Amino acid sequence: MGISRDKWHKRRKTGGRMAQMRKKRKFELGRPPSNTKLGTKRIHTVRTRGGNKKYRALRLDIGNFAWGSEAVTRRTRMIDVVYNASNNELVRTKTLVKSCIVQIDATPFRQWYEAHYAVGLGRKKGVKLSEAEESILNKKRSKKTQKKYTERQKTGQVEKALEEEFSTGRVLAKICSRPGQCGRCDGYILEGKELDFYLRKLKTKKGK
Amino acid sequence: MAEQTVRYFHRQPTVFLNKKKLLSGKGKKNLRYVRSVGLGFKTPREAIEGTYIDKKCPFTGNVSIRGRILSGVVLKMKMQRTIVIRRDYLHYIRKYNRFEKRHKNMSVHLSPCFRDKTEVGDIVTVGECRPLSKTVRYNVIKVTKGSGQKKGFVKF
Repeated sequence: MGISRDKWHKRRKTGGRMAQMRKKRKFELGRPPSNTKLGTKRIHTVRTRGGNKKYRALRLDIGNFAWGSEAVTRRTRMIDVVYNASNNELVRTKTLVKSCIVQIDATPFRQWYEAHYAVGLGRKKGVKLSEAEESILNKKRSKKTQKKYTERQKTGQVEKALEEEFSTGRVLAKICSRPGQCGRCDGYILEGKELDFYLRKLKTKKGK
Repeated sequence: MAEQTVRYFHRQPTVFLNKKKLLSGKGKKNLRYVRSVGLGFKTPREAIEGTYIDKKCPFTGNVSIRGRILSGVVLKMKMQRTIVIRRDYLHYIRKYNRFEKRHKNMSVHLSPCFRDKTEVGDIVTVGECRPLSKTVRYNVIKVTKGSGQKKGFVKF
């Protein structure tokens, strides 16, 4: 094996070199990075120490994303890698890693929101709704169920920046899992201060 | 002001910033995760009220203080968030029934809540924690002012 994670090749705190005590051992091994890209799923499994498995995702396109403030999680397609704090090269090559910012398909979240609150989300004003959407948003309801929905709508306001994202159909999210270790690309939708921070970063990058 | 220095959104991972009530603007003061270190050490006010983010801080980060508690004199404060302390001790030579002076330097992590309060020469109490870097295994948990210019051997 070429990559090893040993300590004895490094210098001491005093600066002195350490004499080689032993050859490389298997428990000190390291493996090459996975560099998972955006694409149709391709996952290899790796046999690890103790006979356990790691799922090395080489290509992924779908992930499980959570909408924190509403406490909903949906499985959506990832569309694009947009920002990476460590390395711009990883954005250019569309590499999925933990803590990179991606654009995800917003439709499952919008569908849940409209079914839960009976209020449109990110819809342009004045556009006529199709029949299926009409039936969800403006369904004829009994007084009791209508009361339930009006009660819910009291806490149902979504912040402005997020609503704008929903109107374009693409929402920014941050990957929280490690695709090269667990083979999955899960994360959460950016909101609040975090969303402002990353939007600002994206704007300065585009402006440059 | 906390997240200005890095390219990612700097936050405490245990604090959920996006609760609905906060997003709609009704939120109160800043959410912050603070913990007590135990063993009778008071968590400084700067840690509770401050806005710094330090995952290696014993009061606002993810390290626990367990094991040995030592003390030393601050020697150098040139590193980012970590300092060098000097621990003096006496070593007994049996043949001559006498002692000799020895010292060891140690790199310890200094939380931003102590940064303005410590100077070179202060006496500092450090607690053992898990390895934070190649050489750092201790974390400052208390600072007491040094006695000014008195240089010399101080046994702990």
